This record gives sequence, structure tokens and C-alpha cells, in this order.
Amino acid sequence: MKEIKLKQLELSVYYEKLENGLEVYLIPYSNKNNYYMTYATRYGSVTTEFVPLDKKKMVTVPNGIAHFLEHKMFEQPDGVDPFSFFNQSGTMANASTTFDNTQYLCSGTRSLEENLDYLLEYVNTPYFTDENVEKEKGIIAEEIKMYDDMPEWVMERALRECALKEHPMRIDIAGSVKDIFQITKENLYDCYHSFYQPSNMFLIVAGPQDVEKTLEVVKNRMAKIKVPTNQKIKTKKYQEPVSVAEKEKTIRMNVEIPKVGMCFKFDRTKFPMSDPYVQDLYFQMFVTLTFGITSLFREKARKEKWMSSFYTQIDDCENYKLLSLVAETNEPDVFQQEVLQALKNISITKEDVERMKKVWISSEHKMVDIVETTVLNLYDDLMKYHRIEENKMNLIKAIEKRELDKLIQKLDFENKTVVKILSKKA
Amino acid sequence: MEYKKKDVGAYRLHLVKTNRFKTITFQIVFRRPIVKEEITIRNVLTQMLTQSCAKYQSKRELAIYSQELYGAYVESSNYRLGNYLNTNFFLTILNEKYTEEGMLEKSISFLHDILFSPHVEGEEFNEESFDYVIHNTKSSIESMKENTSKYSIIRLLEVLEENSPLSYRSYGYLEDLENITRHSLYEHYLEMIKNDMVDILVIGDIDFEEMTHLMKQYFDFATLKQTRRPALIECNKCRRTPKMVTETEDLNQSKLAIGCRLVKLQEYERNYPLTLFNIIFGGSSDSKLFQEVREKNSLAYTVRSVPNKLDSLLLITAGIDAKMSSKAIEIIKKQLKEMQKGHFSEEDIKKAKEYFETVVDEAMDAPGSVLESYYTMELLGTDDLETKKAKMWNVTKEEIVKVAKHVKIDTIYLLEGEEQ
Repeated sequence: MKEIKLKQLELSVYYEKLENGLEVYLIPYSNKNNYYMTYATRYGSVTTEFVPLDKKKMVTVPNGIAHFLEHKMFEQPDGVDPFSFFNQSGTMANASTTFDNTQYLCSGTRSLEENLDYLLEYVNTPYFTDENVEKEKGIIAEEIKMYDDMPEWVMERALRECALKEHPMRIDIAGSVKDIFQITKENLYDCYHSFYQPSNMFLIVAGPQDVEKTLEVVKNRMAKIKVPTNQKIKTKKYQEPVSVAEKEKTIRMNVEIPKVGMCFKFDRTKFPMSDPYVQDLYFQMFVTLTFGITSLFREKARKEKWMSSFYTQIDDCENYKLLSLVAETNEPDVFQQEVLQALKNISITKEDVERMKKVWISSEHKMVDIVETTVLNLYDDLMKYHRIEENKMNLIKAIEKRELDKLIQKLDFENKTVVKILSKKA
Repeated sequence: MEYKKKDVGAYRLHLVKTNRFKTITFQIVFRRPIVKEEITIRNVLTQMLTQSCAKYQSKRELAIYSQELYGAYVESSNYRLGNYLNTNFFLTILNEKYTEEGMLEKSISFLHDILFSPHVEGEEFNEESFDYVIHNTKSSIESMKENTSKYSIIRLLEVLEENSPLSYRSYGYLEDLENITRHSLYEHYLEMIKNDMVDILVIGDIDFEEMTHLMKQYFDFATLKQTRRPALIECNKCRRTPKMVTETEDLNQSKLAIGCRLVKLQEYERNYPLTLFNIIFGGSSDSKLFQEVREKNSLAYTVRSVPNKLDSLLLITAGIDAKMSSKAIEIIKKQLKEMQKGHFSEEDIKKAKEYFETVVDEAMDAPGSVLESYYTMELLGTDDLETKKAKMWNVTKEEIVKVAKHVKIDTIYLLEGEEQ
């Protein structure tokens, strides 16, 4: 195992890639009770067109299938419900699906090795029948309807739909009720065998542990699993244009106060710095200082009271960065003008940058102090950059205002979309 | 972990020394008997205090200073605890061995400024900050309905027992908001500082003497106040036939919220068998409700039960299709009966005990949870975590069945989705 020391953070990550291609990351803690582990595949909702393992033709599977598959992994041939297994030791279990990955996790304080062994076993044991596939449709339909009643969710979906033209990130992770009713067990097996190969997956275990013993558990379990691995799967590539798909959209639903969202689509091949990790630090710095709590934009909004709640979100889609600004406001037009005004007059000082660096450095310490957060951050890094950044503290310290200015100059604020959610009553 | 409690004249100081965290967390708790008309003004007040202060006269200046202190943000929250209204101020800082010498005292001094040097002119809060906070509070009250899960619980409690503290809305009320002035808010501030009961809790890698000295120096409240009013809202009776209320909204999914009374429970029953009852019945992803309502009948994505111990209530919630509501209610009723008949196994009980122990052990990894456990010990005289773990293992099936028989469905509320 290779030890990767996270500089200045008093924490190490142990890494090994197994013969079957599975990447294993172990993070020992000495002063915590809790452990947190996640077993993940680099496969999520956006992959719906591909050539399944051992087949020759490109197929199209229904939208929402990665999420459906995640639900169905909890079905086991021996009839034991994984939740029930984990509950024996009081361990919490869960799973989640995003656009580009699916993860199965558990967290607890006891029986780490048994639970790890079981986690690997059950995720490597697909068991789909016509009956159990049918049964899940009602449950997922209720999950979809729950999200359809949440204005913030409807907003995020609409912003993606308007910003993106070709890429399947435009489509909801769970698909629509109509989509999921088309899913069959054959579709599920195709997806499973293609994308749950160990070579497409990784495992992170953090918490009090003897890393040698943990690795042994993983190796022993993997030796028993005979699945195809290291097989390349051909997936459809999408040509996403630079321009947003739609400039504006208005949605009517049951809201008390209007919501307005603006989404800017930036071409990151134009960014002056080449390392995506560094690009993201600078981009985050720009967003925080322009729209964060200490920004002039927020100060003006407080003084003039043209919005009540506000948040920013950054998403990545291939070579694009999507920056969403979402507000609850009775004056959607004023909000839009103010955002554009703020982008026209960006004024970031050297002191601002230095102050944020202090906050970020301290927040790195705070994050590694929580076992779960450490795993989530490492997970994000592995998904986004395919690497662990051992030198993050120094990368933060090296941020310079001059470089930030260069980045800002490259951002095209014209390429944007605006979504409004208005009350049906008005 | 080492715990010390000190009576510092006007308040109790609880110090927890541990090397488990890189941070030091401060919690200041104000507590007073709850009065419906004070909920809104208290919400406005706590937002005001974290909005600006005499030294940092705008949110921007205040936030810039907290960032200079390596992200020492002060957060506040208000919530009802049985018959009491609690106000919390939290400050979490990185231990200064990772930042700069002097940051500890500077951060404490900052928290002091926020609480004791508010942004007032004469006897009125500053107008600009006041107008903004009123505007924001109004919006949050108005948009409360948009979170349909929360809203269905609010409505359930209102139809369950109007005028009881159980039914008070934590968001506050528009009619009370309209009556708040900059002056009345200042009076309420003085009232909180002078007359609320205060506890201060600190956890981290601290030095007991240094911390006691610092807290005494910066936090000087006037007198020790006491009240005999119990926090617990007892329940002696329940509706014979459950009250059924349906309201309609333009929604895709309907929300079912069921309020069960915990009739005449003893303290031991409330703290021990009830906890296990709930885990088995609806508190985990392996529970009876989850298995029957979701897994076997595909009626819901979410279904769970939560005990509100101090309110003598147990709430059951589910997101369902409107057409399936009566079937869901029938299954929930049946599962409660099964529990009352003792139709669950020793294995279920053992799993519930393991689950509880894990929750307790995990709580030790979160500074806020550790402080909360010491605070509830102080407020309610409950057992400490180690005692709780030990006692929970001794709970018997008979005790759980007995508690199950005290759980009575009182009110069923359905927020029915109807496409308009």
C-alpha cells in the first residue's frame, strides 16, 4: 500500500489498486468512534447509450435506470435485506445516484470488517426478477413526485435543461414516472454487468482501523467474486455546444414567493490555468468573493431588500462550468439587473483574497476532523480529478489575485439562461 | 473526555475537555417558558444580533471580521423544548494551535460583542438592519407552505390541539411580526439578557482554568433565575376515535401525518422502552413501517415515525399517492396493533439496542451532540450517555409492549395533492 500524507493536515490516505482494477483508499483515524465507508461505480444517470458487455450493438436504455438499479441492488437472492444485515450491528446504510456515479455506503461504530465484507458482497450480487422490478416502480414514482413538489429541485432541473442542449445532464437523475415504467430486468443486467466491473469502481474506508487488516478483508472478498473486469465499455459521446440551449423559461407552480435562477455556461478550455484542480480553486474564489456573504452584491441586496434567500451552485459538464445563482424574490427583474451589474463591476481586492485563504485553510482542518466529510471530499476529488491532492493546503496558499483577475477576464457573462418560477395564482 | 460543571453565579458553565476535535465549540443557551406571542419577536431578535453589532455595523463588516478570525461564524437558532423556548448561539473556531496565538480570546470577545453590544441607537435597534430582518422573516413565514413535509406536520399539530404549546409554529406569525417595532425589539432583548435562564457550554482541547477565567471575564449576566415549570407536556387523555382532517393543495404527492399521544407514560418508559419501540416500529430503514408500507406495498418512498418525548407525542409521516391514503392508514394502524400484541422478535429488540448504542457512540464524534447530551442532563435530569447505554440493554420485551399500548392514534392529517 502506498501512503499519501495530506500535507499540514495530520492525516494519511493509504492506496492500493487491486489486480481486478478496484481502487482502494483507506484512511485511519485514532481519535474517533465512527467509521464511514463507500463503494462506488463511476456510472450514473447520464449513461443511457452504450454497447453492453459482450454485445456488439449500441443500445438505448430508459432514463433513470442508474438510479433504479441502485434501488434494486438491495434485492438479494437469499431474501436478506441489506438494511436488515447492517442493522444487526446498529449500522446505518444508504445509497445514492448522481449524474456520473452511484455509491453504496454504510457508517457505524462496530463490526467494520464484517460490514465491509458484506458491502462488497451484496453490491456484487445482482438479483433482478420481473416481480421485484415491478414492485419498485411505485416506490420510485413516489420519490419522483416528492421532488416534483420541491421548487428548488424544479429550478435546478429547468436551469440544466436551458443551459444544455445535447448532454443528458439535462435529464433528471431519477428520470420521469413514464421512463421508469419501461425498465426491465434485462436492461438492469446490461447496465450492471457493463458498469459494475471492479475496474470501474473504487472503495473508501475511513475511521478507526488497522489498514492492513482492512485491505485483507477486501482482497479476500474480491478473490471470491468472479466477475468480468477490465473490459472497456463503449459509451456514446455528446457534442455539447458552447451556447446555452434556451435563453429563458417561465414555470408556473404552487409557490408563495417567486424564484428566479440564472445559469452561466463557461467554457473551461479558455481558463488561463491548466490544472483542473487549480482552475476550480480559482473559480470558487471568484464566486465566493462576488456573490458570497461579504460581497458588495449581497450587501446591496440587504440594503435594498430585493431578495430574501439566495444561493450559488457550481456544476461541471464535460468542458463546461455551470454557475447557477438562485434567489427567492418578489422582484425577479431587479435581481437579474443587479447580478449583471455585479458582474460588470467586479471589485476584488488583494485583502479579500488573503482573507478567504485564511477561511479555506481553517476549513480544511475542520473538514478532516469529521470522518464523513473527509470521505465525501475525497470522493468528489476522485470523481472530478481522478486523484488525491496531497498538497491542497499549499495550492490554497499559492492563490494570487493577479491570476484570479486573468481568469475573470476570460469569463463570458453573456452566455446565460434565466428561469422564473411564478405562482399559479398570480 | 472530562466534564466539569461550574456555578458561575448567574449561569452554569459546562466545560468538556477532549482531544477528539481540532475545534472549540461554544454554545450559549437562553431559556424561558414559551409564550406564543413571543416566538416571532425572538426569531427577529436572534437574526438581528447576528446581523450586525455596535462594532461591526453591517452584515458585511461582521462577516469580514469573522473571516479574519479564520471563519469564526456565530449562528443562532430558536426551538421549542416542551414548555420552553430555547435560544442558542453557537460559535465554532479552529483551535488556535492551528491558526494564530490570541485567536481564542479574540473569538470569545467577538461572541461577547454580538450578545452584549447590539447595534442600537438610544433604545431602538438600527433601522436598516431591522428592516432587512423583518423583510426576511416575513418571507420565511410566507414560504413555509412550500416545504410540504414540514407544513403537513405544522397543520397536524394545529388540528391535534389548538392553543397548546404543541401547536405553536416555530416560524412565527405574520400578525405578531407586524406589531414589532425597533423599540419593542430592544425591550425584548433586555428581557432575554436579564430574565432568561442561561447555560454556557464549551467543548474542545481546552484548559479548564483558562476557559473558566475567560468566560467569567466576558460573560457576566446579572442574576440567577429559576423556574419550577417542568419542560414536559404531559398527556392524560386521547381522542376515542381519531380526528381525521383533509386539506387540499395543488401538489403531485400527498403528505400523510399522524399524531399519536403517549398517554400517561412514566419517565423510565419515556426514556428507554419508548426509544426501542420507535426504532422497531418506524425509526429505521429496517422498521415495520418501512417494510410494510414501502417495501411490501410500494405505497411510499418515505415513511417514518419520530417520538417527541417532551410533548408526549409520536408522529408518523409518509409521502403517498392520494388514492392510496386509506390503504396506507390501514397498514399503519395494523402495524401499531402488531406492536401492541407483541408481534416482534427478540432479534428485532437486539437490533434496536445495537442501533441505539451506535447512535450514542457516533454522537461522541460530533461536538454539538456531546454538548446537547450534557444540556439535556442539566435540563431534564436524564442519565448520562454511558448509563443510558447500559440501561437500554436491560429493557425487556414486556416493557416495550407495555409502552406500545400507551401509543394511541389521536389525529390523522392528510395534505392531499390535487392537480388543478
